[in-house]
Amino acid sequence: MSEALLVQEAGAAPAAAPASGARQFWRRLRAQRAATVAAAVVLLLFLAALAAPLLAALAGQDPDTYHPGLVDSAAGGVPVGSFGGISADHWFGVEPQTGRDLFARVVYGARVSLGVAVVATVLQVTIGVTVGLAAALGSRLLDQVLSRITDINVALPLMVIALGLLAIVPSSFPRPVLIALVIGGINWAGTSKIVRAQALALKSLDFVSAARLSGRGRWSIARRELLPSLAAPVITYAALLFPVNITVEAALSFLGVGIKPPTPSWGQMLTEADTWYQSAPTYLLLPAGLLFVTVLALTVLGEGVRTALDPRAASRLRIGTGREERQERTKERAS
Amino acid sequence: MTGFLLRRLGGAVFVLLSLTVVLYAVFYVAPGDVAQIACGPRCSPAQVAQVTAQLRLDDPVYTQYLHFLQGIVAGRDFSTGTGVEHCSAPCLGVSYQSDQQVMRLILTKLPVTGSLVIGAFALWILLGVGTGVLSAWRRGRITERLLTWLTLAGTATPVFVIGLLLIIIFCSTLQWLPSPTYVPFTENPEQWAWGLLLPWVSLALIESAKYARLTRSSMLETLAEDHVRTFRAYGVSERGIIGRHALRGALAPVIALSALDFGTMFGGAVLTESLFGIPGIGRELVHAVKVVDLPVVVGMVLVTGFFVVLANAVADMLYALADRRVVLS
Amino acid sequence: MSQPSVIPRRVATTAAVILVLVAGLAGCAGPRSDDGGGSGGGSGASGKPRKGGTLTVLNSNPQEDFDPARLYTSGGGNVPSLVFRTLTTRNREDGAAGAQVVPDLATSLGTPSKNATVWTYTLKDGLKYEDGTAITSADIKYGIERSFAAELSGGAPYLRDWLIGGADYQGPYKDKKGLDSIEVPDDRTIVFHLNKPEGEFPFLATQTQTTPVPRAKDTGTTYEEHPVSSGPYKVVSNENDGERLVLERNPHWSAKTDEERKAYPDRIDVRSGLDSAVINQRLSASQGADAAAVTTDTNLGPAELAKVSSDKKLAARVGTGHFGYTNYIAFNPKVKPFDNPKVRQAISYAVDRSSVINAAGGSSLAEPATTYLPNQKSFGHTPYDHFPAGETGNAAKAKELLKEAGYAKGLTVTLTHSNDKDFETSPEIATALQAALKKAGITVELKGLEGNDYSDTIHSAAKEPGFFLAHWGADWPSGGPFLAPIFDGRQIVKDGANFNTGFLDDPSVNKEIDEINKLTDLEAAAQRWGALDKKIGEKALTVPLFHPVYKRLFGQDVKNVVISDWTGVLDISQVAVK
Repeated sequence: MSEALLVQEAGAAPAAAPASGARQFWRRLRAQRAATVAAAVVLLLFLAALAAPLLAALAGQDPDTYHPGLVDSAAGGVPVGSFGGISADHWFGVEPQTGRDLFARVVYGARVSLGVAVVATVLQVTIGVTVGLAAALGSRLLDQVLSRITDINVALPLMVIALGLLAIVPSSFPRPVLIALVIGGINWAGTSKIVRAQALALKSLDFVSAARLSGRGRWSIARRELLPSLAAPVITYAALLFPVNITVEAALSFLGVGIKPPTPSWGQMLTEADTWYQSAPTYLLLPAGLLFVTVLALTVLGEGVRTALDPRAASRLRIGTGREERQERTKERAS
Repeated sequence: MTGFLLRRLGGAVFVLLSLTVVLYAVFYVAPGDVAQIACGPRCSPAQVAQVTAQLRLDDPVYTQYLHFLQGIVAGRDFSTGTGVEHCSAPCLGVSYQSDQQVMRLILTKLPVTGSLVIGAFALWILLGVGTGVLSAWRRGRITERLLTWLTLAGTATPVFVIGLLLIIIFCSTLQWLPSPTYVPFTENPEQWAWGLLLPWVSLALIESAKYARLTRSSMLETLAEDHVRTFRAYGVSERGIIGRHALRGALAPVIALSALDFGTMFGGAVLTESLFGIPGIGRELVHAVKVVDLPVVVGMVLVTGFFVVLANAVADMLYALADRRVVLS
Repeated sequence: MSQPSVIPRRVATTAAVILVLVAGLAGCAGPRSDDGGGSGGGSGASGKPRKGGTLTVLNSNPQEDFDPARLYTSGGGNVPSLVFRTLTTRNREDGAAGAQVVPDLATSLGTPSKNATVWTYTLKDGLKYEDGTAITSADIKYGIERSFAAELSGGAPYLRDWLIGGADYQGPYKDKKGLDSIEVPDDRTIVFHLNKPEGEFPFLATQTQTTPVPRAKDTGTTYEEHPVSSGPYKVVSNENDGERLVLERNPHWSAKTDEERKAYPDRIDVRSGLDSAVINQRLSASQGADAAAVTTDTNLGPAELAKVSSDKKLAARVGTGHFGYTNYIAFNPKVKPFDNPKVRQAISYAVDRSSVINAAGGSSLAEPATTYLPNQKSFGHTPYDHFPAGETGNAAKAKELLKEAGYAKGLTVTLTHSNDKDFETSPEIATALQAALKKAGITVELKGLEGNDYSDTIHSAAKEPGFFLAHWGADWPSGGPFLAPIFDGRQIVKDGANFNTGFLDDPSVNKEIDEINKLTDLEAAAQRWGALDKKIGEKALTVPLFHPVYKRLFGQDVKNVVISDWTGVLDISQVAVK
C-alpha cells in the first residue's frame, strides 16, 4: 500500500484513544443489528466446523464413502435424481462421479477453510505487530531494514511464491498447516505498516513521553502503553483480514495448489465443481454459496467490530458508516 | 520532488533486486529436474547432461544469477545451434522450455492482460464512484442502505465465485453471451469486447465495491465540513454541493487508490485469467511456475513487481498533487 | 509414452494449465464398435467433401514445438502432419485399418536386410518443398541428425537407441561429420544401419524426425518459426510461439505423390491457448467460423456428458476414438511389502474398477482394463484377467491373500499420485482406489506430488515409491513400444529417467523381446506381443485400471471425419468444410 495513503489512514484512526472497556465494546457491538446477525452466523459456522463429525453422524454419513449407485456412470457420473441427488439420506445431494455425501463434505470442509484462515490471521497479526513495533521503536537502521523488508513483502506475488513454496515442501507436511503458514508468512505487510504508523504517532503523545521520562525501557513502554492503544486498530484490521484469508485459501485451492483431496475444503470443492455448472449446478452452488455467506458475515462482523471500537463512530451505529472505511484496503492480491 | 523521486527509484531497484534473489533461491531448491523437463521425458542421462551444459545449468547458482543481472544491463547472446541470437538489454533471458526470449513472451502477453485490466478498470471506476456518489447523496435513505449492502457483498465475494455465477447465468442458462475468450483488439474489436465482457464485469463488481465505500466516506467527510454548511445556507442546491464540492474532496484518495490497483492488477489477475481462460501474464506465470521455467518466472515477477512499485510511487505523487496537505518526504 | 492428445478439463486453474483436461462427451452418443476399435462418432455434415474453405482449429495447447526434430508424436502428429511429410505414415482410415503403417515419402515401407538390421528406402519421384526445390534423401538424413542436437531435444528415444553410434552422437552443430549409420548413396536412397534387428522400423519412420530439412534453411532453435514445408500446407504465419498458426496451400505439393493427405480446405487457421470449456462451448454453438471448426487436443469432459447426451443434434457431432493407452497401478518390488507377490496380487483383487472408471469420467470415457496392452488388434491384444476382481473388487480374496502374506490384521501403504488434474494419475483416481482398498483391510495413505516432481520421482531408480499411479501411451500401435521400455531388463536406467518401474530383468522376457523384434511380419509380431503381455501379467507388477475413450466435438459444416485407432482422434488431413 502506498505510504501516503497509509499515513493518512493512520492519522484518521483513533490514535489517542486507549482501548475503552470490553463491556463498552460489547454494548456497542450488540447495538448493531447487522453485526449481531453476522456474529450469530459466524458462531454457527464455527460450531458446525467444530462439530463436523457429530453433524455427519447425525446425518448418517461420512465424507469419504463412495456411493457408485447414486451416479450415472454412462453420463459422466452425474448424480441420479433432481437437484444433485438430494434425498432424505443425502441432505445436500451427492458429489458427481463418486457419490460422496455433500453435506458431510461441506461440514468437514468448513473445518479446513475456517481453520486455515484462523491460523493464517494469527500469524499475520503476530508478525505484523512485531515487525511494526520493532520498526517504530528500534534504531533508525532497524527501521530502515524492516521497512525495506516490508516493501519486499508487499511486492511479493502471493500466488507465485505460494506455488513455489507449496511445490518445495515435502508432501508429508500437513497441507492445511502449510497453507496457513504460507498465507500468514507472505501477507503480513499491511498489519506491520499500520502498526508502525500508529506506534510512531503514539510515541509522540503525552502519556508515552511521560512513561519514557520516567525512565522505563522501550519494550516495557511498548508492552504497557503502546500495545493496549494499538489493540483497536489491530483488531479491526485482523477482523478484515480474516475473510480475506478465507478467500485466499479458496483461491489457492482453486488454482490447484491448495488443499489436496480427499481432504475437503470449500475452495477445493469449488475447483472440483467448476466444470459441473451445467449438469450439476447444486454441486457448484453449495461451496460457492457457503463461501459467500461466510465471507459476507465475517466482513459485516468486522465492520461492526470497527464501529464498536471507534468511539467517534459510536453515534452512527450502522454498517458501513464512517470515515474509517478507508482502512478496509487490506492487501487483496487475490484478485 | 527530485529527491523524493530519486529515493523512490533507489528503493524500487532494491526491492526488485531482492525479489529476484528470493525467487532464485526458492526455485533453485524446487524439485523437478529442469534439464530433464527441457530435454523431454525419454532423454538418456547423457542427453540430459548435454542439455544441462547448453542451458548452463551446471554453473553455480550465483554465477547464473550474475549472468541474469548482466543480461538486464548489457544484453546476452544465445546459441541457436546454427548461429547466435542476440537478446538485447534489458534481457530477461530465454525460457528453458520454449526457447522464447522472456521479454518477447511478456510483450506478447501484455496486451492480453492490458485488455483485461483497462476494460475492467474503466468499468470499476465508473461503477464504484457512481455508487459512492449516489449513496452519499441519498444518505439515510433506503437507496443508501441497499447500496451499502451491495458493495459489502461485492467486497465479500471472491472473483472466481462471481465469475462462475456470471458464466452460469449468462452463458449457460440464458445463453446471451458466448463463453469468455480473448480475441485481439486488432483482429476484431467487437469480438474482443464481447469476449472480455464477463471478465471485466466480474473484476469490476468486486473492485468497485472498494471505490464506492471510499468515495462515499470521503464525501460524507467533506459534507460535514463547515464551508459546506455555509454553501447550504447560501442556498446552493444539494446536487451542486455534491457535484462541485464533495466529489472533488473525494477524488484524491480515489485517484491514488486507482493508480495502486491498476499497477497491482497487471501482475495480479491470476485468478480471473485462469477462470476465464485468458492467456495473459497471470496464467503464463502460473504455467511457468509449474514447469520450473525459472527465467520466465523471474522475468515476469520482475516486470509485474515493477508495475507494483511504480504504481505505489505514482499513487503517492498523485495523492500529493491532489491533496496539498500531504508533503512528500 | 507420447501423449499426442490433450485431455481437457476445465483448466480452471492455471495450475491446471498444464493439465489439460481430458474429457469426453457423452456416453450415450456415439456408436461404440464391438471390436474394440475406434469408431467415428458421427460423420458430420452430409454430402461429398469438396475442396475449399477455411478450417478453424480450436486448441488448448499452443504448438510451441513446431520443429520436426523436437516433436514427440505418434504417427507424425495431427497439425504437424499437414506440413511435414515423413518416410512412412499412418493409414488415414477409420478404426483398426487406421492402425496400419503405409509409405509416405518413400515408395514402400522399406526393404529390410535379412536380419532386419539394415533398412533401405527409396524416395518417390517429383517430391518438392514449398519453394519448389527437390526433396533429397540427404535432407532426411540431416533432419534426423539435427534431432540429436541438445538444442533440439524432445523427440522419442528410438533413433538414439537403434542407430549405430546414436547413443554418442551430438548432432550436426557439434559434429559436422554426421552419423555414419545413415547412408545416402544417391539423392533418392537412404539406408539405415541398426545395432540390432528391429522389425518395427517402418513404424518409427512415421515420426516427424524423418521429415526432410534442407541444411541451408536450418536456423537451429528458430527453425520452428517457419519450418520448410514438404506437405500440402505451408506456414504463412506463426504468432506467439505457436499460439496462432495460419497454414495455406503449398503449391508445390502434389496429390499424386501423397495418397494419405486429402487436403480439402484451402486454409487452416489454428488458434490455441483457449480454455477447454470455451473450445467445447464454441464447437457446440458452431456459429460463424466455428461451424467449420475442429479441435485436435480437447476432449469432452465428464461434466459435459449429460448435456451433450441429452441433445441428439449435438451427439451427432461427436467423434469417438480409441488411442492405445493404459492407466495402471505400478509396484516397485524392491520396496516392502510389495516385494511379496501375494501383496501385489491382493491389491489386484481388491481394486474396484467401476469406481475408478467413474472417477475417470464414467463408462463412456473409460473402459476397464485387465491387460497391460491396449484392447486393440494392432497391439496383439490377448485378453486375460489373472486376478479377477470383478466390477467392484473381490475384497474376500484379497484378504485371504493378505493373510497368507502375513498381514492378517490388515496393511497400511502409501499410494503416490500426481496432483495434475488429468483424470489419469490424478487425486480423483487415487481417492477412488483408497476407498476400494479399505474394504479389503488395506489402509491407503495418499501422497500427491506436483507434476514435475511426480514424474521425476516415479522415473528415478533411487527415489521410486513402492506403489503409485502411472500411465503409458503408444508411440505407435504395436506391442513393442508398449512393453519394451517397461519390461525389458536392459532398459533399466540407474542414473536417469527409468521407465522399467518394476525393475523386471527376466532373461526369458528379454529374449522374447529380441526374438519378436526380428520379425518383419507385423501381424505375427503382434500375436507374440500379446502372448508376452499375458505372461508378464502373471507377475502382478502392474494393475491395469482402464483405457481411455476420446470424445470430441466438431462443427456442423465439418465433413469426412476419420478417426483411426492409431490416434483415436479426428484426422485433420481428411476433414473437409465444403
